[in-house]
Amino acid sequence: MNALGIVFRKELREILRDRRTLIAIGLAALATPAVLIVISQVSAKTATQTYTIGYSGDIPTGLDILLSATGLKLERVADPAAAAKQQVDLGAAFQPTEIDEYYDPTRQSAQIADTRLQTVLGEYNAAKAAAALREKGVDPAVLTPLPVKVHPLSSPVRAAGNAFLSFFLPYILITMVLTGGLSAALDASAGERERKTMEALLLTPAPRSRILLGKILAVSTISLVSAVAAIGSMLLALSQIPLLGTRVSLSPLAAAVMVWLAILLAGSFSSLTLALGTLAKNFRQGQAYSTPLYFITIFPASIILFIPDFNPNLAYYVIPILNAVLVLRDAIVQNSVAWPALGVTTASLVATGLICWFAALRLFTRETLLIRS
Amino acid sequence: MSPAAVTVDRLEKTLGKNKALRGISFEAKSGEIFGLLGPNGAGKTTTLRIVCTLLAPDSGSVQVLGFDTRTAPEEVRRRVGVVTAEIGVYARLSARENIAYFAELSGVLDGELDRRVDAVIDRLDMGSFAKQRAESLSSGQKQKVAIARAIVHDPEILMFDEPTSNLDVLASREIRDFMGESRGRGKCVIFSTHVLHDAERLCDRVTILHEGSVVATGTTAEVRGSHRDLEDAFLELVG
Repeated sequence: MNALGIVFRKELREILRDRRTLIAIGLAALATPAVLIVISQVSAKTATQTYTIGYSGDIPTGLDILLSATGLKLERVADPAAAAKQQVDLGAAFQPTEIDEYYDPTRQSAQIADTRLQTVLGEYNAAKAAAALREKGVDPAVLTPLPVKVHPLSSPVRAAGNAFLSFFLPYILITMVLTGGLSAALDASAGERERKTMEALLLTPAPRSRILLGKILAVSTISLVSAVAAIGSMLLALSQIPLLGTRVSLSPLAAAVMVWLAILLAGSFSSLTLALGTLAKNFRQGQAYSTPLYFITIFPASIILFIPDFNPNLAYYVIPILNAVLVLRDAIVQNSVAWPALGVTTASLVATGLICWFAALRLFTRETLLIRS
Repeated sequence: MSPAAVTVDRLEKTLGKNKALRGISFEAKSGEIFGLLGPNGAGKTTTLRIVCTLLAPDSGSVQVLGFDTRTAPEEVRRRVGVVTAEIGVYARLSARENIAYFAELSGVLDGELDRRVDAVIDRLDMGSFAKQRAESLSSGQKQKVAIARAIVHDPEILMFDEPTSNLDVLASREIRDFMGESRGRGKCVIFSTHVLHDAERLCDRVTILHEGSVVATGTTAEVRGSHRDLEDAFLELVG
């Protein structure tokens, strides 16, 4: 067996005996389903929850029944404006010719109550107007001179599920590929210096490039296992827990794209974290050097959340991490792969990995590596 | 007289702003214990690190069994085993796994691996803790692992850099015995230390370094001269 294989096998053996890494992988696999269960329960509770309207004046006949049917409970108050601040979710003063509504937009319950009230009042007003027109012998259709017939080309529920996956999956993938192998990378670099084994390792005739490559492969393997464990448990949970009114699943194409991107990202992140760890004198210093990586990697994933329709030109796919997020989003939402985008992304991530590997090798062969320790 | 196993010729090295070596030269032969002596900061460790190719010299050269450290570093590392005061081991591997890892990296072939590892475990009397994880070993046991990994590929040259500085009396005694045994096997043993009494007991020849320069070289008796011991000789030399 050559040095690469020897180092790979030894690093994996050490990692698998490291409680820190195993706990991190286990927690990642358990945390994602737990978060999804909480989200599912909160969204189900929000959909069925009743909100209170504090009102004054006389409610028009029939409107109270409509409000109750929409989960809006009516409670008579002296001052609806004052009550809407805390006592109830929304205040309404019913006048003979209008309704004064009071709500605090900073309260989520007030926002939901407002949306429900507006919906009910819209339907109520339309029904009243239609009845009045009919009394006068006019067809109520005059109120909608250009009716719209909607024909969704795909299931709106399925689309909502894909939109959820398109944000959540790249986020989990990138976070897990980075954090899953971080402890192992720091242990294999800064840890060698901290436990004073680096000098003995460099004294062997094994070429340093192969020693480093063996470490990168071992860390990449653990990163991939972490990402697959977290995403696998998430998909399993999604297949069991109804979310957004449906059971969300990943298409085979999107799954293949995700695995390919995970391999590319794992190679780059492993080289980068090993390079940072090689700079550090000990594990703790290595963690400090690696902390900015969290922000750098989470930022591109957040773009999808804030700009869901972000459709940049091909040049944007040169930017590492952002390109992976965009390709994976497209594969999930459109269930197709834009091959030029995937090609640019692959080239970009391979180049990033090579640059990081070269940097790590330079650091790994510097004399100061020994002198500083 | 056996030919030189290690030839150091006019070696110079600067580390940062510190001129660590100022043109030192010496030879160490097979079948002898050669002492590289001097106080802390004299340049002993830097010299050994250049000999074993961890550092490159600024000028001068080092030949190890005919191989130049600049042009054939891997050939040099194949023929050298180094034991330092740092007895760092892989805590989550057993003592045996630690030794086997370095044996494989040093080029011991699969068919030979078990035999070589078992032999070195027997030689250093490590059988009682060979399967224990290194994290549970005592300092003396870890030092044995460090020696075992340095000699498992049976190198012709053994270098000991302050090997006893972190050890108790018993463990130090074992190291000294091991050096003597290695000399008996025809190895070239280079012993770097600032403890001159240890050197006087063990070394056949010595070189004393002071502030990066050689201040004395020769057999132990020659360097001691008319002084009571090496320490007195050294104190007079460095004034």
